[in-house]
Amino acid sequence: MAEEILKEHVKEELSALGPVEIIVGIPSYNNAQTIGHVVKAAQAGLLNYFPDRKALIVNSDGGSKDGTPQVVEQTSVDAHSLMLVSHPLYPVHRLTTPYHGLPGKGSAFRTLFRIAEVAQARALAVVDADLRSITPEWFHLLLQPLLALEFDYVAPYYKRHKYDGTITNSIVYPLTRVLYGRRICQPIGGEFGISGRLAGHFLRRDVWNTDVARYGIDIWMTTTAIAENFKVCQSYLGAKIHDPKDPGSDLSAMLVQVVGSVFSLMETYDSVWRNVLGSLPAPLLGFPFEVGLGPMPINVQRTLASFQQGVRDLLPIYEKVLTLQQLRELEACAAQPMHQFVLEDELWVAVIYSFALAYHRRVFDREHLVRSITPLYLGWVTSFARQTENETPAQVDARIERLCLVYEQLKPYLINQWPLKTGEKR
Amino acid sequence: MKEFWQQTVLTPLRELGQQALSSLSSLVGVLILILLGLVVGWLAKELVYRALRLLQFDRFCDRLGVGPEIERLGVARSCSYLAGQVVQGIIILTALLAGLNAMRSPWTQNLVERFFLYLPHLLAALVILVLGTLISRFLGRSVLIAAVNENMPSARLLASLTRIFVMALTIVAALDELGISRTTIIVTFAILFGGLVTAAAIAFGLGARELARDLLQSQFRPRRGPEVEDQTRHL
Repeated sequence: MAEEILKEHVKEELSALGPVEIIVGIPSYNNAQTIGHVVKAAQAGLLNYFPDRKALIVNSDGGSKDGTPQVVEQTSVDAHSLMLVSHPLYPVHRLTTPYHGLPGKGSAFRTLFRIAEVAQARALAVVDADLRSITPEWFHLLLQPLLALEFDYVAPYYKRHKYDGTITNSIVYPLTRVLYGRRICQPIGGEFGISGRLAGHFLRRDVWNTDVARYGIDIWMTTTAIAENFKVCQSYLGAKIHDPKDPGSDLSAMLVQVVGSVFSLMETYDSVWRNVLGSLPAPLLGFPFEVGLGPMPINVQRTLASFQQGVRDLLPIYEKVLTLQQLRELEACAAQPMHQFVLEDELWVAVIYSFALAYHRRVFDREHLVRSITPLYLGWVTSFARQTENETPAQVDARIERLCLVYEQLKPYLINQWPLKTGEKR
Repeated sequence: MKEFWQQTVLTPLRELGQQALSSLSSLVGVLILILLGLVVGWLAKELVYRALRLLQFDRFCDRLGVGPEIERLGVARSCSYLAGQVVQGIIILTALLAGLNAMRSPWTQNLVERFFLYLPHLLAALVILVLGTLISRFLGRSVLIAAVNENMPSARLLASLTRIFVMALTIVAALDELGISRTTIIVTFAILFGGLVTAAAIAFGLGARELARDLLQSQFRPRRGPEVEDQTRHL
């Protein structure tokens, strides 16, 4: 029998409520400043776009100390907005529950999936609680493809500054695309639409006591949806503006969480991606309007210095991971002056593939392995920033597309080097 | 004449025969014990190997970094198999020693007794050495990567010092376990380590005063001059 993760009072409330068609989930942790706006946007979106469908907003809170659940309880739809939208056939309900199990976003999602299952929901939209740019339209864009077009998974598509999301652009997007053959530009975007069918599928997977529950939920959901042939699409949400994250957050820890999860999923789905060559675009829904993006300064002197020190000091580690040719090329690259500095796409992709292979072979501790990518990644950032300094967004997009094509061209190398089975030696 | 023949030839020959027979039976006993040890050892090896495979011991060792280290040494065997071989070796060695003991010679009995008394210390020292080596490598690598990611200028030096320090502690602990001149080792270690630190401090202070000042300034004084703010969002 499956473990019951919902508390009794939550089950009672759901039972009293009966079947619900739409659920909006808002995982939160200390988001009292912003969650009120997100809840209002959700209520307005549901009333405006889905007035005849029974809906439920669920805040899955991770034990906030700043009164986040209280803010959700107290947030009510502005009476005038309610009037302007329409008269709903069903009221929009609210429910607040702390999420179960390991503290982390994945646990919040698990709670939401279980609520969706109990409530027999057809569609689930999940949004971050720290969003400042969220509008009621986002819920239409995340839910409508599930309800009207029978998609199972809706990933977000944002307009972002060229230096916003550099891990996504240099590793996560191209690697997900090349491995599983679908072009989902924001695989770890944070906002998702999920069909009831897929939510149930996620819920039954035995991953909820692993790193997925702690931090790898976004990439796990995207990868699972693509690799297991669910219908996926993207919705254009415009700009994403959210509360700035902790400035002291460790870059190498981010890499461990995100890139480590991608590498780990490569082992889960190696029988899938070994047979995929090339990629197909995922449908993009919504109107891709232009948005104004503020400046985002970048200190390339510092990123270049980090790269150069990494190539020099981490050589004993890289020797166990990279080929001799890759090492020589990295050393030559590190010797370049700033005004000529370029980290070629071919070298970057080969390096990432070598790290994925080393991760699979457990050359040494996996966390150490992924943390040691940090200086090399900063080298890519330096090269990207220098090359795109005066480029328009369209030119930057073309550059990312070229990088993705290099990932695709070099995929046979990854397939050939990937050992078929591990642990077979006696 | 008959009595003389009996005393000088037949009796010694009979005694020699009895002794030879007795030695032969002891030898057969030793051989049987060794043979038994070989068979039981092989069975135990297979049993341990299969049980550990079922318990995913290899994966556990890989996580600890033991598996790759063994592979790097050129041993093309899994950790489960090696554990089975260790058990097999212990059983065969025990059988061999039991055989020697069965010969009832004071010399072999003394040897067996001393060996069994020393064996736990030997095994403990071996475990300390293996664990210490693994920990020193792990910590050295942790320090190296963390220091490089923090842009610390002497990352490799810090990592080397960490490894050396942990290995020195390990060797002292292992030798201490073996009971090899404990006091001498501890005093030598203290003098050597203290001496090294003092020598390094004096050398650094006298020979590289400027460097020391610059290094301390860069570590503890705020950097002068404007620096470009970095607002890159990585995710």
